[in-house]
Amino acid sequence: MNLKKYLVRALHRLQKGPGYTYKELLVWYCDNTNTHGPKRIIKEGPKKKLIWFFLTLLFASLVFWQWGILINTYLSYNVTSSLSIGFKTMKFPAVTICNANPFKYSEVKHLLKELDRLIEAALERILQPTPGNSSENTSAPLNLELWNQIPLVLIDEHDKDNPVILDIFETNQTAGGNETCSHQGSDNCTYRNFTSAAQAVTEWYILQSTSILSKVPLHERIRMGYQAEDMILACLYGAEPCNYKNFTQIYHPDHGNCYIFNWGMDEEALNSSNPGAEFGLKLILDISQQDYIPYLSSAAGARLMLHQQKSFPFLKDQGIYAMAGTETSIGVLVDELERMGYPYSDCTMNGSDVPVKNLYSQYNTSYSIQACLRSCFQNHMAEICGCGHYMFPLPEGVNYCNNEDNPGWAYCYSSLRSSIKQRQICIDSCKETCNDTQYKMTISMADWPSEASELGFVLYRNGIIKLNIYFQEYNYRTISESAATTIVWLLSSLGGQFGFWMGGSVLCLIEFGEIIIDSLWITIINVIGWCKGLKQRRARARWWRLTPTWASSTSPLLCPGMRRCPPSPAHPHPTMTLCGCSPSTSLGPTAMQRPSERGVLPAANHHRCAACHLLGKCLLSVKIRRELKALAVLSYD
Amino acid sequence: MPGDGSITARLKRTLPVRGPQAPTLSELMRWYCLNTNTHGCRRIVVSRGRLRRLLWILLTLSAVGLILWQCAELLMNYYSASVSVTVQFQKLPFPAVTICNINPYKYSAMKEYLSELDKETKKALETFYGFSEGKSKVRRSVDEWNSTGSNFFQQIPLLKVEDFSRTATDLRSGQKRKIEGSVFHKDSSIVNSGDSNDIIGFQLCDANNSSECALYTFSSGVNAIQEWYKLHYMNIMAQIPLETKEKLSYSADDLLLTCFFDGLSCDKRHFTRFHHPLHGNCYTFNSGENGTILSTSTGGSEYGLQVVLYIDEADYNPFLVTSSGAKIIVHDQNEYPFIEDIGTEIETAAATSIGMHFTRSRKLSKPYSDCTETGADIPVENLYNKSYSLQICLHSCFQKAMVESCGCAQYAQPLPTGAEYCNYKKNPNWMYCYYRLHEKFVKEQLGCQQICKDACSFKEWALTTSIAQWPSTVSEDWMLRVLSWDKGQKLNKKLNKTDLANLMVFYKDLNERFISENPANTLVILLSNFGGQLGLWMSCSVVCVIEIVEVFFIDSLSIVMRRQWQRAKKWWNDRKRGGSGKAPQASDVERQGHDNPVCIDEDLPTFTTALRLPLPQDSPLPRTPPPNYSTLRLETAFTEQLPDTLELGQH
Repeated sequence: MNLKKYLVRALHRLQKGPGYTYKELLVWYCDNTNTHGPKRIIKEGPKKKLIWFFLTLLFASLVFWQWGILINTYLSYNVTSSLSIGFKTMKFPAVTICNANPFKYSEVKHLLKELDRLIEAALERILQPTPGNSSENTSAPLNLELWNQIPLVLIDEHDKDNPVILDIFETNQTAGGNETCSHQGSDNCTYRNFTSAAQAVTEWYILQSTSILSKVPLHERIRMGYQAEDMILACLYGAEPCNYKNFTQIYHPDHGNCYIFNWGMDEEALNSSNPGAEFGLKLILDISQQDYIPYLSSAAGARLMLHQQKSFPFLKDQGIYAMAGTETSIGVLVDELERMGYPYSDCTMNGSDVPVKNLYSQYNTSYSIQACLRSCFQNHMAEICGCGHYMFPLPEGVNYCNNEDNPGWAYCYSSLRSSIKQRQICIDSCKETCNDTQYKMTISMADWPSEASELGFVLYRNGIIKLNIYFQEYNYRTISESAATTIVWLLSSLGGQFGFWMGGSVLCLIEFGEIIIDSLWITIINVIGWCKGLKQRRARARWWRLTPTWASSTSPLLCPGMRRCPPSPAHPHPTMTLCGCSPSTSLGPTAMQRPSERGVLPAANHHRCAACHLLGKCLLSVKIRRELKALAVLSYD
Repeated sequence: MPGDGSITARLKRTLPVRGPQAPTLSELMRWYCLNTNTHGCRRIVVSRGRLRRLLWILLTLSAVGLILWQCAELLMNYYSASVSVTVQFQKLPFPAVTICNINPYKYSAMKEYLSELDKETKKALETFYGFSEGKSKVRRSVDEWNSTGSNFFQQIPLLKVEDFSRTATDLRSGQKRKIEGSVFHKDSSIVNSGDSNDIIGFQLCDANNSSECALYTFSSGVNAIQEWYKLHYMNIMAQIPLETKEKLSYSADDLLLTCFFDGLSCDKRHFTRFHHPLHGNCYTFNSGENGTILSTSTGGSEYGLQVVLYIDEADYNPFLVTSSGAKIIVHDQNEYPFIEDIGTEIETAAATSIGMHFTRSRKLSKPYSDCTETGADIPVENLYNKSYSLQICLHSCFQKAMVESCGCAQYAQPLPTGAEYCNYKKNPNWMYCYYRLHEKFVKEQLGCQQICKDACSFKEWALTTSIAQWPSTVSEDWMLRVLSWDKGQKLNKKLNKTDLANLMVFYKDLNERFISENPANTLVILLSNFGGQLGLWMSCSVVCVIEIVEVFFIDSLSIVMRRQWQRAKKWWNDRKRGGSGKAPQASDVERQGHDNPVCIDEDLPTFTTALRLPLPQDSPLPRTPPPNYSTLRLETAFTEQLPDTLELGQH
């Protein structure tokens, strides 16, 4: 009995909710929702109902469409950039200074003696217009061992199809070429063509000298280069005097000894808080042009580069020249680009996610795209040629290439260098850094020392350089990225759209969810009712067959419309049997058809079955809805 | 009354109550305020007390005002752009590099055309500044001048001007004459040294009307003579056909000694000739003419373009150019190289290293900014065979104006169809005309600056130029020897290092910076912002707007119309009844609201239901009227039943 009571109460609680049927539920929802459209659907006449129904549908679909666009926009992770420009106290850039010539000629002369003699003789041969009056027989015999590894040849292309190739030491022709062979055999040779003899000679010399110098140990090479105290004559930072000891020495394969000011490796980086040459770095350098290697570098001057602290200077890429005998003033503007990492843009914060082993990390420097590209090349070279190129740091367990150990390296190197595939692999695997800093330089030059002051200078005018490096009036320009669409933006835009079209909010969505749960509940009730009904009908059908008299006697009480029921009044029967017969689904429509008979029902059964009374009431109340199924649940217990 | 009944019936027939079911405007308003979805209006109706009601009216109105203001702001800021900068690391297309010798034509080859002019110029310089030659010689030459009657000086006399007396001395004849017409100072008046008596200039006269003269003065004699020389030079050059001019200028073999690109050797076949009117033959590397554009996949000086140029300084025109070297410009393959405007000069006896950094920019065109995508919407014909740029537009515009007003085309710019270059055999008046026009152009009176717009997208190569000594003192010897050998047999003399210039153009890095503008707002965002504003101030939406339109315009109008119609009907009936003289009693129209039998319908309209509900004393806020739906009836049925059920449980 207690259970029944509880269930009845539960039913009543349910009734307080939106109702029994879908239609009721919908009407209730429309009337009570906070969303603007549905309310109007049920308010007015049929035409307006229709109009409002379609308007609401239209607005709802508009909202969903726009939401789709907004979410798509959010997921595309756009960024906006903001630009700021002005002057602030900033870290003074690291300044790398090198001589364009890597080694003092006086120091390396003994190593390059053979080579120089060879090239002189070759030049002699090239420049002599007529063969025969060659003079090399008078001088000491040439060591042709070097020559035979990579001979310089002349290629006569007057006849396009059959170019005539002539070794310079035999006779001469018109165009210069440079041959590199792999050591396997002469059939595996390539000729590097040059249209100018000057270039051919320079390239040839570089190849040969690289091979010779790579055998020299590093400390020896450092000794042969320019020393800080010889190169840096004077130094002034702001008002503070400085000297060569403030520079960090680094060995650069292209330029020999390079010196870095303010690298920030050991001590704090210097700040500069004033614009103008007065507060910058002033240097006087001596490049001693007399001691240049004649065939190696034809340009004379200092090579310098401004870069960030703790980054490796790639002078070939970013370096500039300072001419001898001039005062070069460099105004600096720091151009920074601060980007957001994944998923906003494809960049790397510190290079740890790049699949290339950074060989420059042995210098303790930070990741940069140049370092990545060079490491990538060197790794390929070590893999394919079996030795490392002299210009780049070595991977573990690999030695530098030289002609003795790796006779075919020059061929291997030049074919690798010109391989487009190799370059593309490196470009694809390297990523640029997210924070990109560039130093924009305004370079101006004047003759220095002037004719008048030169009297006081004992130094050779072609060998000294004055440098002024300072911040410009505006010393930074920062472009920083920020996400164009944040989650807050997304939410407010979604809310804005929903509000704009329908006046809705999150609560409206919750309301809608509630309605869905309610309708699910209704569905469950219906399904259970239907199943129960089916079961009951089956059971009754069986029962009917077994005891037809009993059934026929009880049914008219509840089923007055049924033809099968006998018209005679029934005998008193136990309540349980009554309840057993009641939930027949077929009763509903019949009850509906005869509303006039409803008064008979309670009157006849009142004293016998209270449950039947309830059922009758139920029948009465839900007659409009034709929903007798719900009763099945009730009667089940 | 039978009349009343018929009116009602007819009204009901002809005007079935739909839409505005309120009989009067005030009731409609009241209904609207109670039932609308916006928040403020309801408070106006339900508030008790005049002050509070007034307050709510004010608040609601100010909310409406705020919404309108904010939405207007949003609309006005709709066409704003946000900038995004992307950096891409990739293989970059190498730009076209155009190289010219500063001197346009070989002086030795030009001798036959210019000998006369040069002789005159030399003489002028002598008379003017009394160079090395003795006085007697000068006098003699002056005499000679007078006798021969120089062609050049007759056309454009060089004058020494005394500004205060407004007299000018003809340099040739020494005659003084009064200045007629206007005086133009070519130099800025600020720089003009006031006390200097030696202002030199030349006079240009309208050939058709000799009294129309303009005097151009220069504070420095060098400028005056160069300008004067240039005018004559252009005259002469205009008469020489293009093929001859190309022959007179430098060939690729003359200019380029060595070439090296991306680690490989290159030669003159990689260069395209391009004839520039002021710079003679220029050579463009990687012009893309044969369909392929070279690209770089490695940055750094080794992988760029390296050329050694032969600048034959001895063969320079002494009056036309006073500096020596080469001029280069880095540009896109589709762009016209305006070498005279934005070229970079290259020094001789030096290695110039130019590091490039590539930036691509893209602006949004109309309505965000006033730029043009292709230049097709600019009313100026593009005379250059290249893609649109502001420079091209300005030059074309000036050339167009020149052809229109002077009848011939200026020498430095391409020819429009059907025009030819000015020379004073055919157009004796052109110089005067040109100067006048140029004056106007500079002062923005021609309207070119207004017509021409920026291009929306452009590519820019930021250059970092630095110079090193080249060749170095120790390598000078062999370098010059080998280069002389490279130059070949036809050059017999040994090269001098001041005849050579080394140029390196390379990418500093392969980062391409792409600066693009994007619309800051899209329609979706605008609408959500509207929604945010409407929702914030009034909890309003489009539905509310539709409601407002419905109630305030359609319904109000139909109510007014209905009332007018009824009034007219009544008046008509009264007139028909006429003689009966019976004044109708309280008209049904004047009765209020639901008491009005006219408006009472079988299906009860919601507003009447709402109004019928009396306001309960205990709760000042009116509840939502109980809807007349079966749902509610059902609920009633169940509440009635509840005690029954409970009773049943007790049994």
